[in-house]
Amino acid sequence: MTQANHGAEPHRLEPEAFLEEVHSFEFWFQAVSGYLPGRPYGHAPETLDLPLEPRLRERLLTVLANYCVGERAALEGASGLVAIAPNHQAKIFLSTQVVDEGRHLEVLLHRMRELGVADPEAEVERRANHALVMFRRRLLELVASKDWEAAIFAQNVILEAMEFVVFQTHARRADPVTREILEGIVRDERRHIGFGENELGRRLKQAPHTRPRLAEIRRELDPLVLASFEETLAEVEVPRAERPELGRSYLAAVARLGFA
Amino acid sequence: MIADPLEAAGEPAAAPDEAPRQRFILDDTGFDEVPAKYRRFYRKWRGPDDSLAPNEVICPVCSVVIRSTRELRPGDRVYCMPCMSRLVVTRAASGRLEALVAY
Repeated sequence: MTQANHGAEPHRLEPEAFLEEVHSFEFWFQAVSGYLPGRPYGHAPETLDLPLEPRLRERLLTVLANYCVGERAALEGASGLVAIAPNHQAKIFLSTQVVDEGRHLEVLLHRMRELGVADPEAEVERRANHALVMFRRRLLELVASKDWEAAIFAQNVILEAMEFVVFQTHARRADPVTREILEGIVRDERRHIGFGENELGRRLKQAPHTRPRLAEIRRELDPLVLASFEETLAEVEVPRAERPELGRSYLAAVARLGFA
Repeated sequence: MIADPLEAAGEPAAAPDEAPRQRFILDDTGFDEVPAKYRRFYRKWRGPDDSLAPNEVICPVCSVVIRSTRELRPGDRVYCMPCMSRLVVTRAASGRLEALVAY
């Protein structure tokens, strides 16, 4: 159905009004209302849950366990960042991100239960990738040290950008239930990567002297996240030839921020 | 999406040396990641077989297609609400319209 009303055209908003709108809890609530209702634990009850061969189930469990590590890192990181965010807009946005990350962790743990895991918490510990655990530890150190720029860079640029690409790629190859869960998470991740890049872009514009310090953080954390996602992509059988393509959107983001 | 020959009230007049902009009526493409009143201003990129209309650009941050009710031209400001980015339209060397992030 077509509409002749131009009144809601977002591009006519003044820049400050746009930022106020998209950082608000009200915006978040109306946005997620578009895709979360009717999908308890991330998927429609009627979506066919096809039985997986034991080898594929095993691989999927390892991947889901590591997604849980990443989402837990983001949940703990985002909650800590609320306290050190420099203004109300950022605090309110991060509170919506905390809700998103909590939901992601919950639906991923629930998916492990659907696949027959009795104690997903223990399974996550057992299957966690060492590099990702190290990344989580370092991210939380940055948050604890109240280093806003470094923590946002680590979490909302490095971690979220990698997750954004990996989840999309995995979704295209996953069983129907896992696909629906991942597609729901990707919708949320779009906000998280955008917040990270734009917030950091604004900060770097005002304080270009922070750039070398962030470049150092990148050198330290990039390999940890890349190693864990490389392993994930192998588990979900993404051909090696396609993997450089996956890094492209992350590299484009850091290039836009001047870290090429 | 339907081209609308009528100029909307309140639209700034085109510069004397510029052709008037084409207008578009946007339909809902099922994009569900923003509040309902904004949904028709965005759509998903459908891959290599997809193409952009004169009122569309791709967000370089999140790859959603941003749509406007008017033909886009270099220098225009557009917003990507799904990823909260402010963007400026430019023309790439290829001649295609692109959006650059304005932090």
